[in-house]
Amino acid sequence: MSIALHRLTKSFGASRVVDDLSLQIDDGEFAVLLGPSGCGKTTTLRMIAGLESATSGDILIDGERVNDLPPQRRDVAMVFQSYALYPHMTVAENVAYPLRVRKIDRDQINQQVQRTAAMLEIKALLDRRPRDLSGGERQRVALARAIVRHPRAFLMDEPLSNLDAKLRLQMRAELKHLQQQLGTTTVYVTHDQAEAMTLGHRVAVMNQGKLQQFDAPLTIYNEPANRFVAGFVGSPTMNFLEGEIDLAGRRFVNSQFALPLSESHLDRFQRMGTKQVTMGMRPEHISVSLGEQSGWQPASVYVTELMGNETFVILEIDTTILVARAPGEFRAETGDRAWISFDLARAHWFDPAGRRI
Amino acid sequence: MKKIAKYFVLLFSLAAALLPVYWLITISFKHEVDQFAVPPKWFWFTPTLEHYADAFVTRSFGQYLLNSLFVAFASTACAVVIGTLAAYALARFRLPANLDQRLALWILSTRMFPAIVTAVPLFVIMRDLRLVNTRLSLIVVYTGFNLPFVVWMMRGFFAEIPRDLEEAAMVDGDSRLGALRRVVLPLVTPGLAATAVFCLIVSWNEFLFGLVLTQTDAAMTLPVGIAGRVTQYGIKWGAMSAAAVVAMIPILAFAMSVQKYLVRGLSLGAVKG
Repeated sequence: MSIALHRLTKSFGASRVVDDLSLQIDDGEFAVLLGPSGCGKTTTLRMIAGLESATSGDILIDGERVNDLPPQRRDVAMVFQSYALYPHMTVAENVAYPLRVRKIDRDQINQQVQRTAAMLEIKALLDRRPRDLSGGERQRVALARAIVRHPRAFLMDEPLSNLDAKLRLQMRAELKHLQQQLGTTTVYVTHDQAEAMTLGHRVAVMNQGKLQQFDAPLTIYNEPANRFVAGFVGSPTMNFLEGEIDLAGRRFVNSQFALPLSESHLDRFQRMGTKQVTMGMRPEHISVSLGEQSGWQPASVYVTELMGNETFVILEIDTTILVARAPGEFRAETGDRAWISFDLARAHWFDPAGRRI
Repeated sequence: MKKIAKYFVLLFSLAAALLPVYWLITISFKHEVDQFAVPPKWFWFTPTLEHYADAFVTRSFGQYLLNSLFVAFASTACAVVIGTLAAYALARFRLPANLDQRLALWILSTRMFPAIVTAVPLFVIMRDLRLVNTRLSLIVVYTGFNLPFVVWMMRGFFAEIPRDLEEAAMVDGDSRLGALRRVVLPLVTPGLAATAVFCLIVSWNEFLFGLVLTQTDAAMTLPVGIAGRVTQYGIKWGAMSAAAVVAMIPILAFAMSVQKYLVRGLSLGAVKG
């Protein structure tokens, strides 16, 4: 089952919450909509579900235009951030609800509920009510209710955000496993980039209602389409340095740095004609040394953050703050002298409008 | 000392509330000579059922009781059904130019003048519709009178139910009305019960419109019938008391039967932890 959005727009009054969004989600794909709060990702999901009408543009499910179909006739299942379990029904009644409203006979409902409950390991909970369940159990019931009727697609709106950190990781893995097992097309909304990177076959990064990039997670990470994507994906976040291209000197320069550029980079900058650029550098592509190295840039340690397996070194060069990723055994005190070097082959370049060069 | 004072206050308020009821009940069972004896006969008197026979066999209180029951329950049912649907719409749908808010206020404004203001126009309307002295006229008037109350009460209850629940129901394959019936209404049952009890009490006790719109046994309600026993020839205390005692029973029974809904906190655990 494929989902296609074609020039989809949603306005509330004067503000465009979703702006000219086009996406093609393939059959069986796990697509993630990623973006900061208010970027329009949840509104997009609600439009696919039919809970929100589109101002303009088309929503196609399996090639069929569904804009004017009410939610109950779109045959998609949704998992809400709040789980939205029916509090006056038992777990079994909750899971059976989508089948009951379809007037399926009682025996078959029971059979399906039992099978789904076994799959999600909630058989022991079937007679309980939602208020007696823990957060993780409610999450499973919500999932069971979504998969029990084999819908054409799953829509998930930040389903893990109400769980504690440990449970979230566990459910994340289960969710991925479940989706692979069922092979059902899934659209998953999150603001958590780790969820997006681990779950999605492809990730659609959105900002201010506009699609920024729709690509495989690694492509998003390694070749961000613009400065917003580069800064939003990755933790710690990418370092950005504003500066100019000095074509004659074959260098990238600003008040603190003068970095030599390769031939291929110079070619591109020359063709583009702009001198003002932003260099993006991931923390893992900055090397830090506490001993002086020739050709390396001096800096001072602002603070270090120990993660155990790695150490984030936050450095200060005049007023510029840079984050570097160092091995777990790296130790330094605030104010220590340090020397840094950039892996320029891994640098990302953006023009003044933020587009990737 | 403090404790004693507390119990004394409790006892006093209890007496203030229940003594008139006790007085009423005893009068309905007393012979006329005992009713106003000095000193009052609190406990020891010869009981009699003559006033009950007088009220319900000789006089038409049985018919008044039926009229009251019919009018009160029918108007409550109408007001609750219409008002609940209106309240749901007002709670869930945003209309342009804040019309939903204005509409709600406009509905409430129909309660902002004294009832007597509408008595004469309503009488004229009912007369022209040939509805005077029918129970239908009272059902229509009481429904109209209770509607703003139902709309405002239920709007508040609906607003507390998370939208997610009915949206989930609709994505799960239910229609909006189906979601309302299977998911939302069960969650507002306590509110619905409280609202219905209040409507019933108001309709049951209503006197003014009953007096204006009904003069014959065919439609007259209990409050009007009871007051009608105060005549220029004498006051039939016994029959009035007997009728009043019977008048208390239906509301009491209804309130007790819905009591379990009034106290149940159902929506706990609906959303999040």
